[in-house]
Amino acid sequence: MDLNKDVQNTGGEQVQPVPGQKLLEVQDLHVSFFTPAGEVKAVGGISYELNYGEVMGIVGESGSGKSVEAYSIIGLLQSPGKVVGGSITFEGQDVLAFSKSEMSSFRGSKVAMIFQNPMTCLNPVYTIGNQLMEALRAHDKSISKEEAAKRAMEMLELVGINNVQKRMKQYPHEFSGGMRQRVMIAMGLICHPKLLIADEPTTALDVTIQAQILELMKDLQKKTHMGIIFITHNLGVVAEICDKVSVMYAGKMVEQGKVDDIFYHPGHPYTLGLLRSMPRVDAEEHERLIPIEGTPVDMLNPPEGCPFAPRCESCMKICLQKMPPYVELGEGHRSACWLRVQEQLKNQKKEGEHNG
Amino acid sequence: MAGKFKHMGSLQIDEAYLAGLGDADFAPANQEEKANFIADRKSISYWADAWRRLRKNVVAMVALVVLIFIGLFAFVGPAIVPYGYDEFNAGAENLHPWHYTLEDQARLAEATQSVSPEEAVAKAQEEAAAQGKTLTSIEIAKIRAQANVSNQVTDEDGNVLSGDELNAYMRAQLGIKARPGGYSVGELERMANGEKVFPHLFGTDRNGRDYMARVMMGTRISMIVGVAAALLVLIIGAVYGSISGYCGGKVDVVMQRIVEIIYSIPEVLVILLISMVMNDTLKEYVNLNRGNPIAQLINLLGSNLIGMFIAFGMLYWVTMSRIIRGQIIQLKEQEYVTAARALGASGGRIIRRHLLPNCMGQIVVTTCLQIPSAIFLESFLSFLGVGVSAPLPSLGSMASDALNGLNTYPYRLFFPAIILSVMILSFNLFGDGLRDALDPRLKK
Amino acid sequence: MAKYVVKRVLMALLTVLVVACITFFLMNAIPGNPWLSDKTPSPQVLENLNRKYGLDQPVHIQLVKYLGNLSRLDLGVSIKMQKNYPVINIIKEMFPVSAKIGGFALLWAILVGVPLGCVAAYNRGNAVDSVLRVICTVGISLPSFVVAALLSFLFCGGLPNMKIFPTMFDGTWQSYILPCFALGFYPMCYISRQSRAAMLDAINQEYIKTARAKGLRTGKVIFKHALRNALIPVITYLGPQVAFTLSGGFVVEKVFNIPGLGRYFVQSIQNRDYPVIMGTTIFLATFIVMMNLVVDLLYKVVDPRINLTKGGK
Repeated sequence: MDLNKDVQNTGGEQVQPVPGQKLLEVQDLHVSFFTPAGEVKAVGGISYELNYGEVMGIVGESGSGKSVEAYSIIGLLQSPGKVVGGSITFEGQDVLAFSKSEMSSFRGSKVAMIFQNPMTCLNPVYTIGNQLMEALRAHDKSISKEEAAKRAMEMLELVGINNVQKRMKQYPHEFSGGMRQRVMIAMGLICHPKLLIADEPTTALDVTIQAQILELMKDLQKKTHMGIIFITHNLGVVAEICDKVSVMYAGKMVEQGKVDDIFYHPGHPYTLGLLRSMPRVDAEEHERLIPIEGTPVDMLNPPEGCPFAPRCESCMKICLQKMPPYVELGEGHRSACWLRVQEQLKNQKKEGEHNG
Repeated sequence: MAGKFKHMGSLQIDEAYLAGLGDADFAPANQEEKANFIADRKSISYWADAWRRLRKNVVAMVALVVLIFIGLFAFVGPAIVPYGYDEFNAGAENLHPWHYTLEDQARLAEATQSVSPEEAVAKAQEEAAAQGKTLTSIEIAKIRAQANVSNQVTDEDGNVLSGDELNAYMRAQLGIKARPGGYSVGELERMANGEKVFPHLFGTDRNGRDYMARVMMGTRISMIVGVAAALLVLIIGAVYGSISGYCGGKVDVVMQRIVEIIYSIPEVLVILLISMVMNDTLKEYVNLNRGNPIAQLINLLGSNLIGMFIAFGMLYWVTMSRIIRGQIIQLKEQEYVTAARALGASGGRIIRRHLLPNCMGQIVVTTCLQIPSAIFLESFLSFLGVGVSAPLPSLGSMASDALNGLNTYPYRLFFPAIILSVMILSFNLFGDGLRDALDPRLKK
Repeated sequence: MAKYVVKRVLMALLTVLVVACITFFLMNAIPGNPWLSDKTPSPQVLENLNRKYGLDQPVHIQLVKYLGNLSRLDLGVSIKMQKNYPVINIIKEMFPVSAKIGGFALLWAILVGVPLGCVAAYNRGNAVDSVLRVICTVGISLPSFVVAALLSFLFCGGLPNMKIFPTMFDGTWQSYILPCFALGFYPMCYISRQSRAAMLDAINQEYIKTARAKGLRTGKVIFKHALRNALIPVITYLGPQVAFTLSGGFVVEKVFNIPGLGRYFVQSIQNRDYPVIMGTTIFLATFIVMMNLVVDLLYKVVDPRINLTKGGK
């Protein structure tokens, strides 16, 4: 089935996505949770851009603010979470300025989200068909029931589900985990969104199923040219699917760059640590996995300085005093680490001597 | 060159700051510095943490204070009130919780004292005879009618009053005010003679028993029944549940079948029957075995109470045992239990040392919430007349007795009902607070 | 499905049998005999009475005989309260009144309790929630006889000009109002608390996040996705509540002088009228067990996950 044809059919004003054009821009986003114990700065100033047809991975440990950041794009932050600063621009529109009803028509139609655990994300008391059609009809009131059912079945076929006539009438518990994730993807894509946010979509699945789902997402992404934000803590998945990667640590983006840059020239000790703790098939026989020692900082009273410093093996005095600035390491590759700053300063000095 | 440092949002770089950095700043930090860097949060023990959260819960703390007051009322109160709960105070029957002074009572009697028509006629005839006249029958009829009219008291709306209404109206007219505390006429006279008499603050019942003393005793019984029943349920439920959960397999299947059947038995019906049967049986036993210490003990506690406990013990532990079984099964899978077993610890020891302490929170909460439901049931049975029996008072049976004459003595319902409701409410609120404090999932 | 229903019905019958046996042995365990309160009849009369009602035979034979009669719906005759009147007829006359009051009470409790719980959950943390919470917590702390007695006092002269509802039951619709209110107040508060908790739980589920991510409006998210799931635990509670309402009925019937089965049951206990006690107990137990069964089957309608053939989730 040609999805692009479908895209054009759904609405006149829809812009044909062009790969390489800017789709989403996040600027210095701050998100805080106001708990009784105090303000938790879950996301402390992150920025990135995403183009049509691009897949960006957001990598980090649990609690590093990956999901919170994604939820704030789609307006799903649960109280007491609140966006306290920065901006989110989607196709030139300020997402944070949306009213409630604008937000709900934005969700699902322009941006879709799929979640980590397919076992709990589908409502157990409604049929798959019901939930799929509901997603469609929420944004297109004029569509008839038959038409919606037809679209839903096409969508299910597209994500590789057989016997759709029967499957439509079944309940979520009659589906396996991988099948449910396929349903979730179908549900996310049924309105042809421009951006898909996938919050650890493969974490809860078996390894073989994981590969299938990734394959499916890649496939769909090529057809539709949508942008994908792929949240995960699995670098293997990142290598598989992403064009570029943002590495998050304790609510801060510590490194950002193309997949190759991140994997082959990591600019931050945390990224390096992540890479070293990842098992590799092609590793030398006696190579050992090196875990990152220690635990993440307490987000309730985050320290001045680099949050990774206490766990960093090359920690310096300056690291404990001030958060490092971003250093441009290559095209689109930047990292926030004093080591890189130090190198940069040295280079500057050298060049200065050379020139002078 | 400086363009190499990206300006991105809040991570502003101060060029001057960067320029001012020297080699010293880029020297490696030592372990101590790294350790100081993290502002440690104090780790608090589970119970200290729970207590901290409980203390912060205003509602629960107020409930606790109320419970303490009710406890003082029930356990210390009877020592202060000089009347026994089963002591008949002659002459003090049906007292209200208020009284009028002797003078006021005299004034009222005088004001409402009526002159009967016959007396008026006789008086008039006497006067007439003194003047040497005789009254005609018409004149007699007139005097009679006049006497009748002057005896009638009418309120502002023109209603003719008599009895209690008349008294209330006259008191208002005379400006007589009720004073708190009930005293009988005899007691007022003793007071007038300089004796000190403790007032009947809640009035007395129709047998002249001090109502407050009875309410205190009833509250005491309710509390004892509540706590004792909860403990009984706890012990039986914990033992049954932990054996069932720990053994698993066939033992568990059989034990759970039994639980299922008990669960679907309508408890209240059977409890009504059991407490009735137990009551009769124990009475018979006491009658046959006078002098036997057990019989004496039963006699002391009252056979109904014991019957009620037995009923509780037989049926109400089911929920508790289910909770504990669930917890044990959950905990059994945990590694430290496997480790303990691998080290050769015996089953009983594992239950005692490892499993029970870990489901303590839930047990405490369930036990605490069992108390109000036991009090509920006790008052329910007593209200129906199969619970605590005379002469022991119970809040339920007192409320039941108060139904007769509810309009004249409404407070006979109010006093026990309010204490009972406040007590159950406080236990519920405190239990809720305890659950919030002990349930780590709700940790804020 | 059919297999499960059969299994459940058998289990229910077993429960009824257990109740019948317990009742029977309890009745026999009572020392003395039902004639004691009649001014001590002569031994000859006593023997005749015992023979007449089969009380002279060994216990197990009495039990077998009783169960045999039970299977033919013969619950024996009253031996004291309405001499020689069949117990089954007493039940037939008395139960409809109790059932009506219990039914209406439960009905209003559900119709008011569930929406109140939802409103509280939706407004969680603010004033509406707090007020509802206070009311409901107080509500579950008031024994039904307190509520009933209070109402009976207030509407019988306690409040000026408020004698609008009869406080003595006379069968008119007005006389149903106070008993139904008194009986339904506790379950209403309990159901409301229950549905608040269930609703809060449902709101925090992941599928609610999915529904919102789909772009559904708040109303649809709450009423379509959360409510249906929240109802499941509330229904779980309805089974035991039927039993509870019924026993609360004993008290309410006493306060309002309603000629229902509950009041009669309590009187029969006080009068030691064995056949009436046993007949009523077994009847009420059967009723409650059947209600539990109905509620269990109701699950299937609401929750497609429950696979009845396997007998659980």
